[in-house]
Amino acid sequence: MEVWRALIGPLGFATRSLRRRGFHSYLAFLGLTLTVATTTFLLLLGQDLATRLGLDSSMRSTFGISWLILAYLVLAMGLIGVVGLLSTSYLVSSMISQRMRDIGVIKAAGALPRRLLSYVTFEAIVVIFSSCLVGALSALLIYASWSWPSPSLFKQVGPVPNAGETVLVVVPGISFLLSYMVVSFRVRRIVRSSSVNAISKQLSDLDLKSLGKPLRIKRLGSSFNLATRNVSRDKAFNRTLLSVGICICLSMIVLSGALVSADTSASYVVRAMPPHVLIVANSNVYRQYVSLGTSFSRTAPVPALDYVNESYIITSQNASMFRVIPGVETVDTRLITMSSITGYVKPHFASNDTGQTINTQIIPEVETGSTQALIVGINATDAVGDWYTSDGFLQSSDSRYTMIAGDSLVGNIVQMPFNLSQISAFGYRYDVKSALVDPLNAGRVLYAPVQAVQRNLGVNGYNVLLLKVNNEPAVLSAVSQLASSYGLVVGSQDPILNSNLAFLSGTWSYIFLIPILSVALTCGILLSYLAANFSCRFNDYIVLKVLGANLSYRVKLLLWESWGVLAISMLIAIPVAWAVSIFFLIPDPSVSVADLELSTIVSASALSGVSVASAAIYSRRLGLTTVKDLKP
Amino acid sequence: MDPQDEEIEVRAPALAVDFVGVSKEYVVSGKPVKALESVTLNVKEGEVAAIVGPSGAGKTTILNIIAGLEKPSQGEAKVLGLDLTVSNEHSLSAFRSANIGFIFQSYNLVSTLTAEENVELMMELAGWSDSGRNEKLTAELISMVGLTDRAKHLPTQLSGGEQQRVAIARAMANDPPLILADEPTGNLDQKTGLEIVKLLSQLKGEKGKTLVVTTHDDRIVEIADVIYRLENGSLESVDRPVRVRN
Repeated sequence: MEVWRALIGPLGFATRSLRRRGFHSYLAFLGLTLTVATTTFLLLLGQDLATRLGLDSSMRSTFGISWLILAYLVLAMGLIGVVGLLSTSYLVSSMISQRMRDIGVIKAAGALPRRLLSYVTFEAIVVIFSSCLVGALSALLIYASWSWPSPSLFKQVGPVPNAGETVLVVVPGISFLLSYMVVSFRVRRIVRSSSVNAISKQLSDLDLKSLGKPLRIKRLGSSFNLATRNVSRDKAFNRTLLSVGICICLSMIVLSGALVSADTSASYVVRAMPPHVLIVANSNVYRQYVSLGTSFSRTAPVPALDYVNESYIITSQNASMFRVIPGVETVDTRLITMSSITGYVKPHFASNDTGQTINTQIIPEVETGSTQALIVGINATDAVGDWYTSDGFLQSSDSRYTMIAGDSLVGNIVQMPFNLSQISAFGYRYDVKSALVDPLNAGRVLYAPVQAVQRNLGVNGYNVLLLKVNNEPAVLSAVSQLASSYGLVVGSQDPILNSNLAFLSGTWSYIFLIPILSVALTCGILLSYLAANFSCRFNDYIVLKVLGANLSYRVKLLLWESWGVLAISMLIAIPVAWAVSIFFLIPDPSVSVADLELSTIVSASALSGVSVASAAIYSRRLGLTTVKDLKP
Repeated sequence: MDPQDEEIEVRAPALAVDFVGVSKEYVVSGKPVKALESVTLNVKEGEVAAIVGPSGAGKTTILNIIAGLEKPSQGEAKVLGLDLTVSNEHSLSAFRSANIGFIFQSYNLVSTLTAEENVELMMELAGWSDSGRNEKLTAELISMVGLTDRAKHLPTQLSGGEQQRVAIARAMANDPPLILADEPTGNLDQKTGLEIVKLLSQLKGEKGKTLVVTTHDDRIVEIADVIYRLENGSLESVDRPVRVRN
């Protein structure tokens, strides 16, 4: 064994050093492993969810619920990646900080700089490499148990082949490279300093410049005053505050982003299908409309129907009779039909600015594809929906050959910018004015002025009426009576709305795994920080115990130290996370104070829990020590 | 309420430390190891007691028991009238912070606090909440140990002798009747060690404190009123120097 160690010098040095540092080596390994494993698993989970939800990362659209979910997942993955890498570099940096004094002593004892650099770097690499390896394997195992029985998802995410394998290699790989760079930078700095400096106070963990008058709040007691001095005199305090603050901020954005995105997507659905709306139609059309309305949340195909069958048509006179029923606020008269459509991008000029010259060329008309879509002829002034649109809904002033495209058509049949996009339907060309988010026919829908659709189909009337009512039972009764007198049936739109909202809620409940785990990742980072700091100051705590600090004082001290750093970090992180969630996360968000409060409470509770738990664990450990545990 | 607000009422005994047949046994790797065996120790108030003996004789264990950091396995142990064998952790902490000053071989100052803050901390632990009075007393103690110009330095900025002087000032901070010193000159050179011995004799002479010191240093033994010699956990002899007997 000795011969082997002598032969492999750096490895022998590393194994001896790591074994003798015991608890601290284990802590560094555990912290790094957890970070790499959680980051890798979260990214695998993100691509898994994207695949399960049928999201296509090649989507060219920046509109609609699918885009919203995909955008959230991409944002969350990005932020989690940043948190993971930041945490990795912080943990590695802390690991080297703990070794600085020893490295300085070895250097001062006369170790050759190159040899010292290789020995210390190798020691760190042993920890980093094993952490990355074990972290990646752990992530793979957790993911395999999560994705069972469909592990094939590992290889798919839209057009990105072998996405899981890529994540599994890239995340631990980048973590390793980043860690190596941090180690190399920190160790080189010590090795290049003079021998005297290497063991001098400059390498002490304490910030000797910031002694000054410490913060004292008499009411909070001696333990608080001691905690402020312990924390503020730590050389790495500002770096810690920044790292922990950024991690908390980003994980809060991921969490509040999920809440805001979930609420926003639900609001899109509610705006398109508001509550307290009655559907009046022939029984066949009614059933068809329910199928179309719930196609957003069901995979069953919508059956075929002759929408303009004469028996389904409601005349204008009959429709207007519903308007006079007291309690009916709006009658939205619609003529719906399924039709084959073709998309085009109109011929246009394109300019290419090279810096010196501007080349203008004519782009000819391009056909973007054909599909079946639901065409809804609608009277713009009586529409019950208040859709979320890109450029507004139909106006009475719009040309009769104008359409609004549903979100599922955007990016393929309908290209952005919309003013260059056209739709061919019923043998006519319609200009696309705008796009809207609509669950009807899962977003494969086009809204056009009802007169244009009537003219194109040669129909004089409507096949669906949507009545906005005040929800009193008498109104429903009156509407039902009138409808049955015309051979029509009446049903509420609320079950369709609820079905779609439940589907959305179910979808988001899957996605919520990501923000919850990202908060857990941040908790892990905080735990690593606290463990490292408590370990560093453990001798001081034993001194306090020996001098007579009782259990209550010790617990308060540990709590102030851990929770103080957390509180300051959160003070910075929360306003930034709120601002990002409200103003920058998604366009036209539905932000409720409850969302922001919930994300803050969840993050603060989880992180405070970590603070309390670590204080309790160390306090218990401290309780087991005696004066014999004091380090010389 | 700060824990140190809770005062332990201590009557004024003739004996500061009263050990009768105290034994201490540890379990190491599943096997019992005797650290002390039936030690009887009587240190009167105002005395300096030196505990001498080779390493591993049980000197530090005696100090730990006197400080209430460990409980004896057998025997009676009373310190300043408090029966340590029946006291709980909470009352022992309060007792320690109010009645005992500690001086360690390795100084053991709180690394994040300056010299004066280390001294002041002891007052806070003793429940003294008048910060103005604490600051004034701290300045006096720092001056007593000759470190006024080093008062705002952290332990890492002080020499070993200076750190030990801060430790002595800290041991005096809560004005304890009993001071325990564990080889206080063990890490210091001759000259610095002498300064510490002078300070310790000052504690005895001017301040009238009871001192229990474990040591190998003859200069400390010379100022002791009673010398306990330990060997393998047992008391070999108890000597009272001629000057004391006279």
